[in-house]
Amino acid sequence: MRTGKTALITGITGQDGAYLAQFLLDKGYLVHGIRRRTSSFNTARIDHLYKDIHDPTTRLFLHYGDMTDSSSLIRIIQQVQPDEIYNLAAQSHVAVSFEEPEYTANSDALGPLRLLEAIRILKLENKTRFYQASTSELYGMVQEIPQKETTPFYPRSPYGVAKLYAYWITINYREAYGIYACNGILFNHESPVRGETFVTRKITRALARIKLGLQDCLYLGNLDAKRDWGHAKDYVEMQWLMLQQDRAEDFVIATGIQHSVRDFVDAATQELGMSIRWEGKGIEEKGYWIKKIKKQELRSRSAPCPIIQVDKRYFRPTEVETLLGDASKAREKLGWGPKITFRELVAEMMCEDLKSAKRDELIRKNGYLNHDRYR
Amino acid sequence: MKTALITGLGGQDGSYLAELLLEKGYRIIGAVRDVRRTEDSLPITLKNKVELVAWSMLIQEEMVSVMRHYQPTELYNLAAYSSGAGMYDDPVGIGEVNGLSVVRMLEAVREVNIGIRFCQASSREVFGESFEGLQTECTRVNPRSPYGAAKLYADSMIRIYRQHYGLFACSAILFNHESPRRSLGFVTRKITHGAAKIKLGLSQELYLGNLNACRDWGFAGDYVRAMWLMLQQSQPTDCVIATGESHSVREFCARAFTHLGLDYRQFLADEPAAYRPAESVPLVGDARKAKEVLGWEPQIRFCQLVDMMVDADLQMLKEKNN
Repeated sequence: MRTGKTALITGITGQDGAYLAQFLLDKGYLVHGIRRRTSSFNTARIDHLYKDIHDPTTRLFLHYGDMTDSSSLIRIIQQVQPDEIYNLAAQSHVAVSFEEPEYTANSDALGPLRLLEAIRILKLENKTRFYQASTSELYGMVQEIPQKETTPFYPRSPYGVAKLYAYWITINYREAYGIYACNGILFNHESPVRGETFVTRKITRALARIKLGLQDCLYLGNLDAKRDWGHAKDYVEMQWLMLQQDRAEDFVIATGIQHSVRDFVDAATQELGMSIRWEGKGIEEKGYWIKKIKKQELRSRSAPCPIIQVDKRYFRPTEVETLLGDASKAREKLGWGPKITFRELVAEMMCEDLKSAKRDELIRKNGYLNHDRYR
Repeated sequence: MKTALITGLGGQDGSYLAELLLEKGYRIIGAVRDVRRTEDSLPITLKNKVELVAWSMLIQEEMVSVMRHYQPTELYNLAAYSSGAGMYDDPVGIGEVNGLSVVRMLEAVREVNIGIRFCQASSREVFGESFEGLQTECTRVNPRSPYGAAKLYADSMIRIYRQHYGLFACSAILFNHESPRRSLGFVTRKITHGAAKIKLGLSQELYLGNLNACRDWGFAGDYVRAMWLMLQQSQPTDCVIATGESHSVREFCARAFTHLGLDYRQFLADEPAAYRPAESVPLVGDARKAKEVLGWEPQIRFCQLVDMMVDADLQMLKEKNN
């Protein structure tokens, strides 16, 4: 199946980029992606899609470029002449954005502006459609519950503020220049290839390793923080749908169901058949692994050690406490709804991370260091 | 003695602020792009009374070393690509200077001395096409230009640095403010300068855009006083600074020409090129909070402002042509 369409994905090496590339290839697109030059390999998430460029059937192409470098973006867009641009590239970590506020703004705020300017400079306003990955972090300190397209924004991090700038710029270019440009306001979306520093993946990775005895404890921030977690695979479909309409519009993409970080831990441990007892409150709260103990071991049993503890360094005074999306507009106008449930999401993530922990266990047992370590 | 570091000292607001702070006994450091050029263009009231130092709005290290050296107690950020018809020409540059540079400054404050008080000249452009008739600090923002989006970015970051790090940082959300020092690219000055030229027989016509566009116009001298007041409070807080009155470009013309004994209708020619894309709707500010918190009120009203600008242009043109 060929649509003859060409898409350009920024951030193709990330979680969403990988799922979207797969989705568009399946739809018959030619897919071009932008990657940053880094000293370590960063294409692991799309390696399974990638063919040698000498293979005549290849439909996935990678280009070196950077969201902070206008000329690289103009060059790539001129070369590719895309029908659709999906801007998924970002410094997307909230906590890191406090450490690197300027870089975050340069890539997340000015980056999309550079892409829109490139469209304008290259006179592709009538050809190229533009998708901007906006985020529920725009809502920050939420002004109403649940959050929808009309909810006022109140970002609480440099990441949220940079994304808010990009949100307005996208609308501005749609209105001032008639570019088909829209914002997908995506609530949290996870998967087995979610970045390892995000809380969901941090949990599934650590629990798998704890289960196998490769790690003792998992340190988390605010266990009561509530999020609306969906599956990235469902969300990339919506990203594509948004660019297939008669008129560019902004949409909230969410599941409409909320869970706390503690809920996520509970669901994940259940997948592993581990039973957890929570004790204490606030930063003193700890999660104990209740193991079934054989009678003869009872006497020599030492006090149980917590496998989950709260580290106040992960607590922030300007924490976003709760996010819950209302995707009614997406459902009514585009017929979109999430297909993968929370439990299925957790199960899939847990299953994949358990596999990789088992691989590490095997490697260690045979006297080698972890497979993903250099030394 | 207090020391104030002012960016954009060479501009309209910078010069009025510097004059005000000189009166109050401040030591004044102007952080500017081009020291020589700013020096040459300083009004007579400031010549040899302010210290100028070069810095780039794009380089945080420069900001840090300047702040370390001069140890300012107050920092006023007035440097920016200005609003108006040029708002669409270099959007990335506008984002860099009006938006990101504020983060560089806030980070520099954190690095040098967290006690430095910071006032940002924000803009009513953050409201863009507003949802409400009278805009306050609580009005929903809706920026409709790269300029407005960048100013909003700066305001939001200032709020975050205030909440997260406890910085004394605030934004003055300034509605249009004019003066005889306004540059000729702005409609008010274009009118007063044009009317004065016609009066002196140096020109026959004035080209303007949308005569029905309405704005809330105040006097720049009043507005910088509000910014200074904002840094003298016990708590940092953002304030809308406005007159609360809306007047059309047509009214502005009528007043300017009447002041010269002329009828504006005889001299106007339409000039659609001066229309901006995605034109903003009329905007009027509600500065009640500034009145309550700062005790601030504008002293110069619309007619006085127009007359002042016309008189200044007439004077200047007479001197130039003698």
